[in-house]
Amino acid sequence: MIRYVLKRAVSILLTFLTVSVIVFLMMHAVPGGPFDGNEMPVSKEVRDKLMASLGLDKPLYVQYFKYMWGVFHFDFGVPFQSPGETVLQLLARAWPPSLILGGLGVVIGATIGILLGIAAALRRNSWIDYVASTLATLGLTIPVFVISMMLILMFAVFLGWLPAKGWDKPNSWYLPIAAYAMIPMATYARYTRSAMLDVLNKPFVTVLRAKGLSERRIIFQHVLRNAALPMVAVFLPMFIGTATGSIFVEAMFRVPGLGAYFVSSITLRDYPLEMALILMITMMFCLAYLLTDIVYALLNPRIRFGGKS
Amino acid sequence: MTQATPRQHGPLYFAWRRFAANKAAVVSGLVLMILVLMAIFASLITKTNYDEQKFLTDAYAMPSSTYWFGVDDLGRDFFSRIVYGSRISLTIGFSSALFSVLIGIPLGAAAGYYGGAVDWAVMRLIELFSVVPSLLAAMLLGALTGGGFFTIVLVAALFGWVQVCLLVRAQVKAVREKEFIRAAQALGASPGYIIWRHLIPNSVSPIIVGFVLAIPLAMMLEASLSFLGIGVPPPLPSWGQMINVGMNFMYFYWHLAVFPTAALAITVLAITLFGDGLRDALDPTLKGR
Repeated sequence: MIRYVLKRAVSILLTFLTVSVIVFLMMHAVPGGPFDGNEMPVSKEVRDKLMASLGLDKPLYVQYFKYMWGVFHFDFGVPFQSPGETVLQLLARAWPPSLILGGLGVVIGATIGILLGIAAALRRNSWIDYVASTLATLGLTIPVFVISMMLILMFAVFLGWLPAKGWDKPNSWYLPIAAYAMIPMATYARYTRSAMLDVLNKPFVTVLRAKGLSERRIIFQHVLRNAALPMVAVFLPMFIGTATGSIFVEAMFRVPGLGAYFVSSITLRDYPLEMALILMITMMFCLAYLLTDIVYALLNPRIRFGGKS
Repeated sequence: MTQATPRQHGPLYFAWRRFAANKAAVVSGLVLMILVLMAIFASLITKTNYDEQKFLTDAYAMPSSTYWFGVDDLGRDFFSRIVYGSRISLTIGFSSALFSVLIGIPLGAAAGYYGGAVDWAVMRLIELFSVVPSLLAAMLLGALTGGGFFTIVLVAALFGWVQVCLLVRAQVKAVREKEFIRAAQALGASPGYIIWRHLIPNSVSPIIVGFVLAIPLAMMLEASLSFLGIGVPPPLPSWGQMINVGMNFMYFYWHLAVFPTAALAITVLAITLFGDGLRDALDPTLKGR
């Protein structure tokens, strides 16, 4: 187990470094620099001074090693678009709204999805099964900004029940949370249904029924527990996926979160912030997959570590 | 002769039977056919070109019998723009899927056939693509190349090949163990020959499935990038870009947001359901995930 984790940690570190090099090179290969845009028209001398003060006149590999040295000491630099704070302070300020809305969306969506999946599996080919699979297909195929648009049109424009945008009032949270919840709901409805059907066909369920256990105990204590394994695997990646989803959801609902910075860091050539955001998400995905594998193995002793790959 | 000889049917017949039994897939196939015809004959069913500002005095007009989907903010017939938008969406979807398949087949076949170090390298590459958020990479690549039609096709293919590669790899791995491959090896066939003449033809089902399922992913990426303003440059009509513009007017001129939203949703949904049906029909063992 420990050997396996160590092996994976080394592989994660390699992936992380590869991504950092590729992203760093791509980022600097993008034409234009942070002080070339229309937003900051400065004379050439001033620009050269600014570039020198930020170390941007040094060769690329020097800049890369300097930045990565900082990263391994939890110093992600100062964002060009907001020089009054460090990248970490900016994240601490802008991330909470995204985390709250995204987290609530995933948790609520997953709960509804699991319930729908259970209902669909227990009442196969009934109306609830059709509703669940329709919702699952819609949620997985329609882009999140189209879903947001539909929610706004329906609940804010035509019905006028809820505000279309904002962050301050609690009732402005419903629509963005609903938008975030669609993908988890769809994914979980689908996974739960197929996992439940798999387990329901196993012989041990027949044995439990023959023993005379109540159907409720069979479902919740035995079937669901055995069906839970594939559901664990998708949770963390989905939660991290809300970070990129926030680009759209927060733009649609005008939430002051992290979403806008993904776009602005690229358009404004805000190198430190751009690197920090991409590296952070890459690292979170790596750790999420590792953690998922560990939890998977703890829940299912049949999976042996180190067997393959 | 007292007994009628049973008719022989090929595997395609049974695949078709399975497909035809799936109502959602058949309907989606019809919708997809209509969309493709719409895209091809766009100039015949619309009154104006997508960029003709012929109705400036009627800008923002609501849908009516004259303007089926209304007129947009710049005085262009919105129905024409939606119809021409299907051209952009479908072209990007199909060409990215084609490139995905072109990258995915050789890598998947090599990984599946050779195994060992080649397989390891391909799997690490796939791992790399699975931890980097595709949208951020697409935005960065878009900025790097200046965006545009061809960039989007390339970016979508760059992230679309993974699925095709995995499907082909699994199929090749399974077929490689069959006797006829051993026989070909014993006859002295080179690995390239075996892959080209035996393994890839035997992977046609997963390749078709991978191709069809890559289309909606590319279309969604195009719409997302265009929505962010770094996709297809205006005045080319892209549904994502129209949704972005329509958002600004949705309290007063809802049609500018509703029609592109519906067009994108219907198209992506139709192709996905069609692809699911095709997958279940061609290879029932691939069903579900």
